[in-house]
Amino acid sequence: MATGKRGRRAPGVLASFVHVDAAVDAIRALRARGHRNLVVYSAAPFHEIEEALDQSVSPVRLFTLIGGLTGCAAGFGMTIWMSLDWPLLVGGKTIASIPPYVVIAFELTILLGALSTVTAVALLSVLMGKRGISYDPAYSDDQIGVFVPAGSDQAGPVEQLLRSAGAVEVRRDAA
Amino acid sequence: MAVVAPPSRAIRPELVINQTHAAVTRDVVATLEPASRGYLLLLGLAVAMFLGGLTTFLILVKDGLGHAGYTPPAFWSVYITTFVFWIGIGHAGTLISAILFLFRSPWRTAVYRSTEAMTVFAVMTAALFPIIHIGRQWVFYWLLPYPNQRWLWPNFKSPLIWDVFAISTYFTVSSTFLVFGLIPDVAAVRDKVTGWRKQVYTLASAGWQGTDNQWRHYSRAYLYLAALATPLVLSVHSVVSWDFAASIVPGWHGTIFAPYFVAGAIYSGLGMVITLLVPLRRTLRIEHMITDYHFDNLAKLTLLTGSILFYAYGMEYFVGWYSGSTFEQTTFYRRAFGSMWWAGWTMIICNAFVSQLLWFRKIRTNLTALFVISIFINLGMWFERFVIIVSSLSNDYIPWAWSNANITWADWGILLGSFGWFAMWFLLFAKSFPIVAIQEIKEMIPLPRKRVGGQH
Amino acid sequence: MAQRMTPDNKPGSTPESTMDRRKFLTVVGATSGGALALSGCSTSRVEKLVPYLVQSEDQIPGVATWYASTCTECEAGCGLHVRTREGRAVKLEGNPEHPVNQGKLCSRGQASLQGLYNPGRIKAPMVRSADGRFSEITWDDAIARLSAKLTEAGGKVAVLSGAGRGTFSDLLAAWTSALGGRLVRWSPLDPEPVRAANRQVFGLDQLPAHDFGSAKYILSFGADFLDTWLSPTENQRGFADAHGFADGDVAKFVYAAPRMDLTGLNADEWLATRPGTETALALAIANVVAGLRGAAAPVTAALSRFTPAMAAQETGIPAERIERIAKEFAAAQPSLAVAGGIGAQHAGAAQLCAAVNLLNYVAGNIGQTVRFGAELDAGDGYIALARLGAAIDGGQVAVLLVHDANPVYTLPKAAGFVERLTKVPFKVATALFLDETAARCDLLLPQHHALERWDDLAPRSGVRSLMQPVMEPVFNTRPAGDILLQVSRKAGGALAGFTAPTWEAHLRGRWQALAAERKEADAEGFWRASLQRGGVFDEPAAPAPVALAGSATDVAYAKPAFEGKGDFVFLTYPHANLHDGRGTNKPWLLENADPVTKITWHSWVEVSPETAKTLDIRNGEILRLTSAAGAVEAPAYIHPGLHPDVVAMPLGFGHTEYGAYAQGRGVNALDLLGAPIGDFMTYLSTRVTLEKTDGFRKLATVEGVPRQLGRGIAEAIPLAAAKRGLTVKEAYLEEGHGEHEVNPEREVAALKGWSEQQFQMTRHGDYTRDLPQWGMAIDLARCTGCQACVTACYAENNIPTVGEQEILKGREMTWLRIERYWEGGEEPGEPVSARFVPMLCQHCANAPCEPVCPVYAAYHTADGLNGQVYNRCVGTRYCANNCPYKVRYFNWYKYNEMAWPEPLQLQLNPDVTVRARGVMEKCTFCIQRIRGAQNQARLEDRPIRDGEFTTACAQACPSDAIAFGNVRDPEGRVAAIKQDPRGYRVLEEINVGSAITYLAKVLHTVEA
Repeated sequence: MATGKRGRRAPGVLASFVHVDAAVDAIRALRARGHRNLVVYSAAPFHEIEEALDQSVSPVRLFTLIGGLTGCAAGFGMTIWMSLDWPLLVGGKTIASIPPYVVIAFELTILLGALSTVTAVALLSVLMGKRGISYDPAYSDDQIGVFVPAGSDQAGPVEQLLRSAGAVEVRRDAA
Repeated sequence: MAVVAPPSRAIRPELVINQTHAAVTRDVVATLEPASRGYLLLLGLAVAMFLGGLTTFLILVKDGLGHAGYTPPAFWSVYITTFVFWIGIGHAGTLISAILFLFRSPWRTAVYRSTEAMTVFAVMTAALFPIIHIGRQWVFYWLLPYPNQRWLWPNFKSPLIWDVFAISTYFTVSSTFLVFGLIPDVAAVRDKVTGWRKQVYTLASAGWQGTDNQWRHYSRAYLYLAALATPLVLSVHSVVSWDFAASIVPGWHGTIFAPYFVAGAIYSGLGMVITLLVPLRRTLRIEHMITDYHFDNLAKLTLLTGSILFYAYGMEYFVGWYSGSTFEQTTFYRRAFGSMWWAGWTMIICNAFVSQLLWFRKIRTNLTALFVISIFINLGMWFERFVIIVSSLSNDYIPWAWSNANITWADWGILLGSFGWFAMWFLLFAKSFPIVAIQEIKEMIPLPRKRVGGQH
Repeated sequence: MAQRMTPDNKPGSTPESTMDRRKFLTVVGATSGGALALSGCSTSRVEKLVPYLVQSEDQIPGVATWYASTCTECEAGCGLHVRTREGRAVKLEGNPEHPVNQGKLCSRGQASLQGLYNPGRIKAPMVRSADGRFSEITWDDAIARLSAKLTEAGGKVAVLSGAGRGTFSDLLAAWTSALGGRLVRWSPLDPEPVRAANRQVFGLDQLPAHDFGSAKYILSFGADFLDTWLSPTENQRGFADAHGFADGDVAKFVYAAPRMDLTGLNADEWLATRPGTETALALAIANVVAGLRGAAAPVTAALSRFTPAMAAQETGIPAERIERIAKEFAAAQPSLAVAGGIGAQHAGAAQLCAAVNLLNYVAGNIGQTVRFGAELDAGDGYIALARLGAAIDGGQVAVLLVHDANPVYTLPKAAGFVERLTKVPFKVATALFLDETAARCDLLLPQHHALERWDDLAPRSGVRSLMQPVMEPVFNTRPAGDILLQVSRKAGGALAGFTAPTWEAHLRGRWQALAAERKEADAEGFWRASLQRGGVFDEPAAPAPVALAGSATDVAYAKPAFEGKGDFVFLTYPHANLHDGRGTNKPWLLENADPVTKITWHSWVEVSPETAKTLDIRNGEILRLTSAAGAVEAPAYIHPGLHPDVVAMPLGFGHTEYGAYAQGRGVNALDLLGAPIGDFMTYLSTRVTLEKTDGFRKLATVEGVPRQLGRGIAEAIPLAAAKRGLTVKEAYLEEGHGEHEVNPEREVAALKGWSEQQFQMTRHGDYTRDLPQWGMAIDLARCTGCQACVTACYAENNIPTVGEQEILKGREMTWLRIERYWEGGEEPGEPVSARFVPMLCQHCANAPCEPVCPVYAAYHTADGLNGQVYNRCVGTRYCANNCPYKVRYFNWYKYNEMAWPEPLQLQLNPDVTVRARGVMEKCTFCIQRIRGAQNQARLEDRPIRDGEFTTACAQACPSDAIAFGNVRDPEGRVAAIKQDPRGYRVLEEINVGSAITYLAKVLHTVEA
């Protein structure tokens, strides 16, 4: 799946860049031409590219918040219920005494917070990510890739644009 | 501190010495090449030590804990000491990978992967001890709140249950953090290697392609994970310290215990980081990524935490005296001049005094010196826990019951076994995964531009 | 729960029928699981198991049956109640109706149970074969062999038996004389000098009874009346009454001896006399007393020579101190002086006892606290044994029968008894264990243990104490009486006169005669009543009138002379647990530390701190003692209560036979003694040289640091303050210890309020109910540190003995331990004394051990107990770390598989779990007894009555120092005692709310 060889490939144009500014130019130009759902490959997150694509903030934080709150509630709920369910007196302390249970609640807050965060990323970026799009191993090394979904009708001008922007290689995926 | 500020883009030559993206990938992937004989020798030694520990453990399960040198009233001894030691080790890793990430200190980049791995494996080691040290190892799971036929629950008032939660949380979160950080790098390796290894890394990379969308969620999530791991650095060892502070044993029952233990933990962790990195960077030939600058910074952190520890030791004695409680006073007097004076002074010299050498830049940048000091730190921190646990227990309230420490082959077996177990995992990791974070180093190296010097 | 009854309270039951019943019990035992092993080693194998269809009247599974019996561990003859469960004896307790011990029992008596189940017992009759080994034979064969030998021996028969007066000893005497042989009754610790002195001073050859209880002032010249002297349990009970803080006063006790033994540790004043000089001291005191109380002229004349100054010269005690004590003694009415301990049994011991007799006489104690006419049981004395030796040398003995005696071990090698034994052609032993003597015999006829046979003892006039079989015999043994009778039947001839069918029949016959003498109409009823009571206990007759004999006034003091040379006088004394060595095969007595040195499992040499200083000796360094007779090596123990001229060693170790527990354990102190000269054994007779070897042996001691470090663990209060009803704290402040300020009122109030609030917050579920709150009170003024309670705890709660190696690691399991703290004696010249404090689980209200347990294995029960659930325990051991009293014990190994080798496991109490490896255990306040009493009360639909049950320790305590009960019951004994101003809690300042109140020891402040 990594190189998108298997299955039907999405039609479009894939361009590889060596220069980051060239890639950014290309992205801006394409977006100016109304190409919205581009896919940009890079070995590391680059802010110039993020700006060029002007991405919205990821919704991951929501998952983190919900997970954390759930953990906290679960922590207190479990400890208090369990000590009332089997009420044994130890060391003359209250049966359901809150201070020690804070520790449990805290730990569960962190635990569920972290787990839900990771789950969120899995959901959003892997499962919901676009499939069957061309990819080049160089993108995890030192090149930047830009994929423009385009039917055979638009493909020509897009290729043109990308080359002029300074793509070192342009490839067309036919439908 | 502004947590949301984007990572600095400044090129830091002292951090990465004349590199390109391609070179970074190449050099890191090179570290995964088939192992040298030295490496295999080390691995063999580690596995042997681990097997020794395993045998000891099986004997303990067969006959009972009697083989270990427990001398009541010291009902805890080497095993709990070593447990606290390993838990402590972990903290430096999380500090470097999480807290320094939030502080945006770019020097962490090259070392955080290895320290994070160290954290995970240290916690894996520590987590064995609660099972090893209990009298009926086969029912350890009774400490977990699982629904059972008779509806028996654990006692959440017991610090030992807090431990269960603290450690399992710490292990889950830090290993998640490690694996999560690895994904893009695994993808990079995937695109370099061939054959069966490609298959494996393909699976491990979980379909990572580095698309803008993936990076968008990834960077956010990484930030939050760091934010969640940060309190753990402080909480886990605080909880461990409450194993002692929540008791009424003179020498344990102290309010300074949480910060005291956390400082100690990070201090010991840094010691272990240095002990690991010095040989690692030589064997993996990555001097241009892990530079002297890194060691200088690590040493400075060590000095800081070491000095906090120095203060804590002083405080402990002061409080002991100031309490006016004859029990506290006797405990601390005997810690220094009692039958276990040797342990007490080892702890003070190795931790409080040796760390002060790091005031000198010459020493901070001299790897041999650093390595030696780090060994002292590991030794000293083990003894710190030994003193706190055994010497305090050996002479508490009832003089009639007082005893002296005693260490047997069973104690050594488990102790060395734990080092073997840790080293085994660390070595295997270093050969199978990028021990230096490819992706984050690349973030610091600008891609070439067609408009020379063009910055917009 | 305990129903006490005789074995045959069913009318018309015959002896045989009771035997059948006991067989039946075995079957029952076998059916009820636990006792499979019983069937395994009982003589009658269980062919088929009978289901419990028809319930035997006095056997309810799970309910104990009690039998009255008599203790045979020493000559005191204490009464027993034997607790049996499903046909096996599981615990021994004192018989409350018995005049000697009044319901109490010492460690040795309780450990008799481990004699019954001892792996070292002779399991069947055996004969020595050609190769010198023993081989098993049938009883018929054995009887035949013995009778044959007796017939051919003609009159050349001798019988050597232990002391122990009763129907059997009469039979034995008659039997022996019928054979024309000689009988010697001898026991090593028989205080012969006392009788010699009584002959001399009062013309009475007997041992009087001593009434410690009513004495106001007690003087002991080396008589260890709390350890082994005469009747220790009885003495201790009396001593506690006198020396405890009752009706506002405390008798003063002064101990004059070179060594502080357990008795000495209880003294208000210790006079460290030079060895063998106590006579001078006694005479000087007698002299002063006579002067003060105006004695008859000849007496004063006889005593006048002995001035305090002269005594000071001899003893090394300042004259004015002697004067003072003499005055105090004379002023107290009545008082009591005793002498004749084994440790002081030197050549001049008879003179010492005579001097003490005079002292008692002039002080007017004869007939008051010294009661003649009691005629305590005593043997024939060493002189008789010596004569027997001569007879053997003269070839007068062809057959020697040894019964209940072990002369080979208990005589010094130098006495040459072993060699003599070889001169006897045929030697027979009716021994329980294969001891040193039995091992040298040709024929072994193992007799029943006292708990397996019918018998009686007459320890003193007016007391005839019965024994009865409480269970099926453990091994293929027979009552010695039956052996004699069967031999008689077989041999006929001179023995034809002994026609009783069985020993039991003979005994019953004797008792019928007794009934007749006492004009009892219904002999059978009398028998059964006596059996149930434990014997016949007639009111002690008024003390026999005593007059001075002519020889009374020729009292003398001879400077002590000791054999050999060397810088130190060698003092050997009977070990409080092991007695003369008969206890050494019982793990309880070995593991339950020596009450003075707190050393377990091995022997030691005691040196004084001064000696240790000059010779640079440290505890555990192996010392070599050499005397004219021999040399021994043992580790050193520095004893603060030892005269510098003396080195001391306990008796009882160094067995070469006597079972796995005793063999090769330490060295036998007797090896240093020369052959006894004169009429009695002299134990304090030789000098030794002391040299350090380079060896070292860590002492297997249960003692950590023997100093209180001002932690107020074993508190004490001056008598004056106690009389004024001050609390310990008040007394302390009065003495001007300003720095130990009590908390200001507001803090006290705040703390009270806080704990009340805490208490309210814990009310939930069961904890809201108004249940009893169990608590304990321990009176340190009564406690003598004898450790009978510890043994009782081992017996009741199935506590494993862990052995020397584990004790070296401090892993002893004693739920209840006696801590012995030294006071003073740190600078030279400063008087040293000791304090005892029994330490057990305090069942704290705010128990620190409970909240730290992750699995609720330790928790607080609704009736105020600190519960420990073995099955739930995972063994994190945090509870033990957090226990300030250090009274929790962990099973490091599978002690449950190591502590009770076959058939010792039969002693286990079925009511108490045997703990597995890896779990924590501790004192439960005998919860099985609490629940038992509660169940009984529920059955009878009534509330529990105060004192209807108590814990094992409280039950055993010979000085009644421990009280247990419900503190919520205002009429209850414990609640009352807890009001005593002397009451305090150990470590009260850490506010764990201990349920045990200690009453501070009361001290005589010496106004010098």
